[in-house]
Amino acid sequence: MALAVAEDLSFAYPSSEGVALRNVSVCLAPGQVTLVLGRSGSGKSTLLRAFAGLVPHFHGGRFSGRVEVAGLDTRRHGPARLAGTVATLFQDPEDQVVFTRVLNEVAFGLENVGAGAHEIEARALDALASVGAEHLAGRLVTELSGGELQRICLAATLALEPKLLLLDEPTSQLDPEAAEALVELAVRLARDRGTAVLLTEQRPALPLEVCDRVLFLDRGRLVFDGPVRQARTWLQEHHPSFVSAGGAGDEHHRRAGEVACRLDRVSYAYEDHLLVLDGASLELRRGEVVALVGPNGSGKTTLARLAAGLLESLSGSIERRGRATYLSQDPGRYVFCERAVEEVAVGIGGDLTAARRTLAAVGLAGYEDRHPRDLSSGERERLALAAVLAPDPDLLVLDEPTRGVDPERKRELAGLLREDTARATLVVTHDIAFAKAVADRVVSLAPDRELVHA
Amino acid sequence: MRPAPAAALLFGLAAAALLAQHTVSVAVLALVLLVVCLRAPASRRWPYLVGALGSALALFVLTPFVERLPGTVYWTGPTIPVVGTLDVTSTELSGALFQACRLAAVSLAFAAYALWLDHDRLVQAAGFARRSVLAVALATRLVPALERDAAGLVEALRGRGVEPEGLRGRARLVSPLLAGSLERSINLAEAMEARGFGRPGSTRLPQPAWGLRERLALAGAVAAVVVGALWL
Repeated sequence: MALAVAEDLSFAYPSSEGVALRNVSVCLAPGQVTLVLGRSGSGKSTLLRAFAGLVPHFHGGRFSGRVEVAGLDTRRHGPARLAGTVATLFQDPEDQVVFTRVLNEVAFGLENVGAGAHEIEARALDALASVGAEHLAGRLVTELSGGELQRICLAATLALEPKLLLLDEPTSQLDPEAAEALVELAVRLARDRGTAVLLTEQRPALPLEVCDRVLFLDRGRLVFDGPVRQARTWLQEHHPSFVSAGGAGDEHHRRAGEVACRLDRVSYAYEDHLLVLDGASLELRRGEVVALVGPNGSGKTTLARLAAGLLESLSGSIERRGRATYLSQDPGRYVFCERAVEEVAVGIGGDLTAARRTLAAVGLAGYEDRHPRDLSSGERERLALAAVLAPDPDLLVLDEPTRGVDPERKRELAGLLREDTARATLVVTHDIAFAKAVADRVVSLAPDRELVHA
Repeated sequence: MRPAPAAALLFGLAAAALLAQHTVSVAVLALVLLVVCLRAPASRRWPYLVGALGSALALFVLTPFVERLPGTVYWTGPTIPVVGTLDVTSTELSGALFQACRLAAVSLAFAAYALWLDHDRLVQAAGFARRSVLAVALATRLVPALERDAAGLVEALRGRGVEPEGLRGRARLVSPLLAGSLERSINLAEAMEARGFGRPGSTRLPQPAWGLRERLALAGAVAAVVVGALWL
């Protein structure tokens, strides 16, 4: 028997001319893990929001069809009423944190749904333990890394013991180990508690190994719905980048040119005086792409900022030749102008012609006059990339450039980054498949802050 | 100390500063609150101190020009239509000092609340109007959140080789900061609704009973208001 049903569901956001979902019909069974795939802006997040009742109650817009969860019609029962039966983990953990302390944050949902006052703390601690974060219970959320915060948000959803768990790109900020643990946890919930799990992902390799069923959305239409084995064949035929290991297919060992940046035994500590980097050395040469990988909190971003000249090291030396640009993890920071083309032109003295050219190179031709805030998360990521590519830097430093970017765009991005042979590129990423696709060399920053060159 | 009586004490001190009639009394209250704020880590306290002391200073500087009170004239300026002749008198200066001290005391009481209180526990302790208390707690977080956002925006500009220098460079941050905080508030509202916020029948984590210190702080808050109204 189905736990949740979407029947002939169509939806359009109020501010948008296009349709986000078109005649989608899906049944979700208890204990089933369903993976939703599709390109950026294909309607994956909207489908999850429809099952949470946020579409249409929170967003407004034109809604037709029917969505029912555990016998509750979402047209009559809003998200607050569905909470507890449904729990949602959103893409960006920083935008969903209400309280400042971890335990209070996890307890918040339980308080709202009216859990017994004396069981709240125990359930919250249990949920924290299930994501391996019980030691963080008393910590301030501002002290946590992105990965830790994501686990706290997951614990907050698990504490509700929902019948339907909606996970919207939950591993986008997690290192591979943490991502694997999260996906395994979701599967365990489905098997042990009979929770139906609906999961969207832009790194589909891991979930494809463990899920039961795959949905594929294309411009709001459900174009594939079937078991995972059948899905692999279909994806291979129609969207191979979703099942390939991410390789661009060419030989990666190119001849590296002169040194563009050399970090020699650099150390760095933030205000709390805890050493984030201790004696790290790295050389970046023109014509090569270096991927920097490592677990959450190992200091990858700090090393990238040092290389780009945004931080001064405490000790050691940094030698940089030419201009460096740095792409921040948060594409929401590239919103200074009213039009996308002007935003890209910020770093090149307002040269709109060059900005248009760069927008086209990242696949955003036709988006020149759009407001940066009106773009989807994947499109914003590409806009931010265009903004740092436009100055034609000698050293390009990219911090997690594939967050929210679909596998097909990742493949294009890898090709784009490998085109320029005069530039040195450092890519910080959790996406191992992308690292393999783009990099000539992979450097791993271990938890003990040691750089391992692979 | 638990946050509820501490908040009451700070509220009492702010109320006393508003009710007091003598500049010296208000200045002493402001000084006490300044000392409390100065004990917070430097990296966290500076936006609050700049806001509180900067606005008090601005009030002190501007008030004599907009007031027209008799007294010893220290300076006479041009005549401006509607406003009249600009001058600065002794009465205007003392009045401006009094109002500036008041503003500083109230702003510093808020700064102490923002810097020192555990807002989570304040929300948990709210026996009634919990939604309003939560709204205030979330609004209090706006200052550090804006500070983080501003740092991120500056980094995004510097990462493109653009240094946001001077007033014009900083002014460039205002629009994305405001738009970003609006966007974040919408995302947060969505996440809160998805977690059942606003649903009837909510419960809360059990709170430990108040001790002697908490009761004394509450008594101190009431005393501050009474003393401020009657004797300061």
